[in-house]
Amino acid sequence: MSRTASSWLSEAAAVFAKEWRCELRTRYALNTVLLFAFTTLVMVSVALGPMGVDSAARATVLPMLLWLILLFAAAAGLPRVFGHEEEKHTATALRLAATPSALFCGKLAFSLTLFAAIEALTAPLFLAMMQLPVAAPGRFLATLVLGGWGLAAASTLVAAIVGQARGQSTLFAVLSFPVLLPLLLLAIEATRAAVGGGGGADSLSRLVLYDAAMTVVSLMLFPAIWNP
Amino acid sequence: MRKIAPWLLWIWIMVVIWAAFFYAPLAEGFVGQSSRILFFHVPMAWVSFVAFLAAGAWSIRFLAGGRRVAHDHAASAAVELGLLFCVLATVTGALWARVMWGAFWNWDPRQTSIVLAMIFYAAYLALRSAVEEPETRRRLAAAYAVLGLVVAPFLFFVLPRLTFSLHPDTVVNLRGRIEMESRMRQVLAASSLAFTVLFFWIHRIQVRLKARAERAPLGRTRP
Repeated sequence: MSRTASSWLSEAAAVFAKEWRCELRTRYALNTVLLFAFTTLVMVSVALGPMGVDSAARATVLPMLLWLILLFAAAAGLPRVFGHEEEKHTATALRLAATPSALFCGKLAFSLTLFAAIEALTAPLFLAMMQLPVAAPGRFLATLVLGGWGLAAASTLVAAIVGQARGQSTLFAVLSFPVLLPLLLLAIEATRAAVGGGGGADSLSRLVLYDAAMTVVSLMLFPAIWNP
Repeated sequence: MRKIAPWLLWIWIMVVIWAAFFYAPLAEGFVGQSSRILFFHVPMAWVSFVAFLAAGAWSIRFLAGGRRVAHDHAASAAVELGLLFCVLATVTGALWARVMWGAFWNWDPRQTSIVLAMIFYAAYLALRSAVEEPETRRRLAAAYAVLGLVVAPFLFFVLPRLTFSLHPDTVVNLRGRIEMESRMRQVLAASSLAFTVLFFWIHRIQVRLKARAERAPLGRTRP
């Protein structure tokens, strides 16, 4: 038993290491997605003008913009997690090499770390550019982590579906947005609470619920998606 | 029996329509005759809910129970019909909202969740049409429909709690239950039954059509 568990773990770790090695060779996702997030951020900031958002509306409007930027950054980068396997015809080799659940966990870990990197760059920059003070930084951080987890988990699963469908990126947007919207609304609600300083425990616990549900269903569905 | 059943359903629906306008009283606090739309709007929403649930159940059976094509046909037919009833429920709801709230659309939580459900199942059909290979299409579509079962509780139970809703059941529900005049309740139950039977009847026809299209040597295979 312990032997199979350790081989499962080493498979997942190998997939994770391989993803990052490929990523660091080309730096495709890091370069484009980070630049994409930065460009969107600049665009939003420029469009709002030198005065920014009216200070009364700031706490309601800005959290929404932050999550929209993060959503589009995720949609730009995460479909590739499975898309490039199909493009380079490495999917079959991967099917032979790893059990589906280990493979999914490796890919999920890659998505999570990649998205954490995107958030780590985008969120502080957003707060600085928009002059948005955060009343409860701990809650804000928790929202970013939980929202990022949900975004990465759901996107990875949908990426697996879209990858099998010969990876059309428009299809990814169509399939993932209705799945992600509840998460997005919850995350915006939690961010508003964190910025305002009060409440938000409800939204955070619902985010945990969403993340847990999404992770479990992903692990259950992935073998059916991956194995023909 | 099979010959008369559709006629019985037809008569049943006629009676429901008559009863909705002449037997059931008007609800208090509603503008004009607007409360009568309840007898059609609620069953439509109910049927689309049942349809999406059934589609999820058939998809699970497809994935877990030997990948039988019939289960896939049943799931996709249920989504198509569910989407139809979903659109009908949205339109009747918007008409009623225009009368009661003064605007067709104001992103009441109920409206948000039904639109998201509509987008989700439209995406299901988009996924089906995007994959050419039938085996892959069935597998991916079934997985996506099961994913829908996980998202649905968030749409219908979590999101409506985020903001205040003007939708009648939450307004009427302050004491935890729907309080309705008994004649209204009878008509609503009769109408819900009629719509549910109607759904399963059309669904059976659709499934048979899909099976026939699959067998037809020269016919187009439907997604």
